[in-house]
Amino acid sequence: MTATTVSAARQSAPGWFKNLRMLVSGQEGALTLSLALLVIVVGTANPRFLAQQNISDILLNSSYIAVAAIGMSAVIISGNIDISVGAMIGVLATISGQLSIVPGMPVWISWLVPLIVGPMIGAVTGFLVAYLRIPAIVVSLGMMSILKGGLILATGGVWIYNMPPEYKLAQQSFLGLPVPVYFMLALTILAALWMRYSPSGRAIYAVGGNKEAALLSGISPRVVLMRVFMFNGLMVGISSVLFATQFSSIQSTVPSGLELTIITSAVVGGVSILGGTGTVIGATLATILLRAIGNGMIFINVSAYWLQAVQGTLILVTVLIDLLRRRRQAAQIRG
Amino acid sequence: MSKKVFSAILMVALALSVAFVPAVAQDEVRWVGADDLPVSPLECPEGAPGAAMAEEPMEEPEAAALEYNGGQPVGAPDLAGQEIVLVDVPKLIGIGYFNATSLGMQQAAEELGNVKVTTDGPTQGDIVQQVAFIEQYITQGVNGILFAANDPVGISPVLRRALESGIHVVGYDANSEPDAREWFVNQAEFNGIAKAKIDSMVAEIGPEGSFAIVTSSFTAPNQSRWISEMWAYAQKCYPDLKWLETVESAEDQNLAFQQTQTLLNKYGPDMDGVFGMSSVAFPGAADAVAQAGLCSPDDAAADVAAPDEESAVAIVGLSTPNQMRPFVENGCVESVVLWNPVDLGYAAVYVMRAVVDGTLTPESTEVEAGRLGKLQVVNGSEILLGPPFVYTQDNIADFDF
Repeated sequence: MTATTVSAARQSAPGWFKNLRMLVSGQEGALTLSLALLVIVVGTANPRFLAQQNISDILLNSSYIAVAAIGMSAVIISGNIDISVGAMIGVLATISGQLSIVPGMPVWISWLVPLIVGPMIGAVTGFLVAYLRIPAIVVSLGMMSILKGGLILATGGVWIYNMPPEYKLAQQSFLGLPVPVYFMLALTILAALWMRYSPSGRAIYAVGGNKEAALLSGISPRVVLMRVFMFNGLMVGISSVLFATQFSSIQSTVPSGLELTIITSAVVGGVSILGGTGTVIGATLATILLRAIGNGMIFINVSAYWLQAVQGTLILVTVLIDLLRRRRQAAQIRG
Repeated sequence: MSKKVFSAILMVALALSVAFVPAVAQDEVRWVGADDLPVSPLECPEGAPGAAMAEEPMEEPEAAALEYNGGQPVGAPDLAGQEIVLVDVPKLIGIGYFNATSLGMQQAAEELGNVKVTTDGPTQGDIVQQVAFIEQYITQGVNGILFAANDPVGISPVLRRALESGIHVVGYDANSEPDAREWFVNQAEFNGIAKAKIDSMVAEIGPEGSFAIVTSSFTAPNQSRWISEMWAYAQKCYPDLKWLETVESAEDQNLAFQQTQTLLNKYGPDMDGVFGMSSVAFPGAADAVAQAGLCSPDDAAADVAAPDEESAVAIVGLSTPNQMRPFVENGCVESVVLWNPVDLGYAAVYVMRAVVDGTLTPESTEVEAGRLGKLQVVNGSEILLGPPFVYTQDNIADFDF
């Protein structure tokens, strides 16, 4: 949202309309409207879509993606990318599951270890990107291969079974909603507040927007990048626990394309692929929207092939809008 | 302003998806997710609605049978009735599945009394290492080689060399090129698996029940072959079954879980069963049904059982016992369709013995295999293991793979 649109709206509209306009003009507003439209259209065509159980399932299945998309949003806002997150989720879920079946191991340890190992992997990626200045896509590509290969070597493709019942965190619910949904909501709000109001959070935008300017204003891009990748590792760690505790068995192979789903959520959520702008609230809304589209398509008998086409369209449209906005801003600065 | 354009385009994109609803109506001739190869549904069981209609005798498979297309050893010594030494080189050793085939081989060897078989092979499913193992045994000299190929083309040259050195060669589980071995013990044909799946489903939901299919992808060769054969068999034997729809789940347990949840929410009590078509889709679907508390109340543990039999959802599929063990043990899944690898190894040794004794020749149409009875020759030079094996609460504890 640019200052000009806001001030123009302020001059010409009454208060309630101004607020509505601000809501609609933001990416979050667009996503909320799309979600509302989807709910109305699919809900009219097939009212079972609106059943409480289905809404709850959509939110549950969005949760682990949304938590990972929070970390991914921070990485992309800082001007980088991490394509190893899918492999990280696979590895961390396997570690967590393996720990849970060790006799006598307290269950909280199997929940906690991914939250420690995740940031450690993030620190390695972050170090290579921040201090050795290797492009993040190359570093995370390498990390992805190492993790995927290592996982197959370590597990031999054997699934993990017989996790104790108390391990299954994601299968619990509280006040009618599954526990992962609370993780999604709480982490989205906390991360949004951190990135919006704290100096360390604002620094991510500064580094992603203009590295030189950030350096001149006393921010160390290296420290910021290390912090961003470790934060991403933490979010991926939490996501992997939600992922691992959802099922009776843990698939030992990395779910293919998981990283793309996570990146798609961040990008459709309005996080600029060029860095510097976007919010985690947008990313979470986009995750829910994408999941609701996938779910809704079955309700109205649309082939799954269209899901990919719709996702692709959403990505291209979002990126296009972002580029147009940047170009206009640049023109304004020049003019 | 561009934001407004964006929201407009977003809405158009969504509306677009709705506009295509009629374009994908289910095709009645060929079920969604099935391939369009010819089908050969098996006979209906006694008492099936379609069994009475099949008055005219089905075309016998012999009529279209292929000529024998296997290879033959050169100058193999006549050891009929005498002690033979065999080596078994599976894809890899040390995993439950090939431990089971190996156990079956030892059982057959013990029964026959004049066979000595050892299992040896790579610890990883690697074709180069597997070829090296076979080379070594050709040099060392054995009477016969049993194999399960890591690669059908890659293994063939070394097997042809074995045949040229007068060593008998029989495959099981995973084939080579036909002329590189004499016989291949085929664990399951598509129509057999399809029949077992539909029969298991009907046993749970009745001949007029309704079900949906969670497959890996509409184009996955094995899954689409099975769906084709299931459709053909159900059309013939259970014409009143209600086929709801097929959804894709990639090879992703989580997606299978989500898709099954969506189907449960969409159809509610109008859906009686779900097929999990792959070893990944099956546990994913089972988790969705269990977590929704919709397992059959007759057998299931209290925390996963449906309030009544009406609302319960059956899950049937093809997978390994280990993968499905939690669900079979808590009663959520009643039958897991697969073959029995112990029987597979057992049959392979009987086939080898019959080849050496001269009782199984290129002209044969069946072979005697101990406790398994007579096994049929199919596809030229393959021996069919017989109907698939169904793992249930009673027998699953005996298997670890």
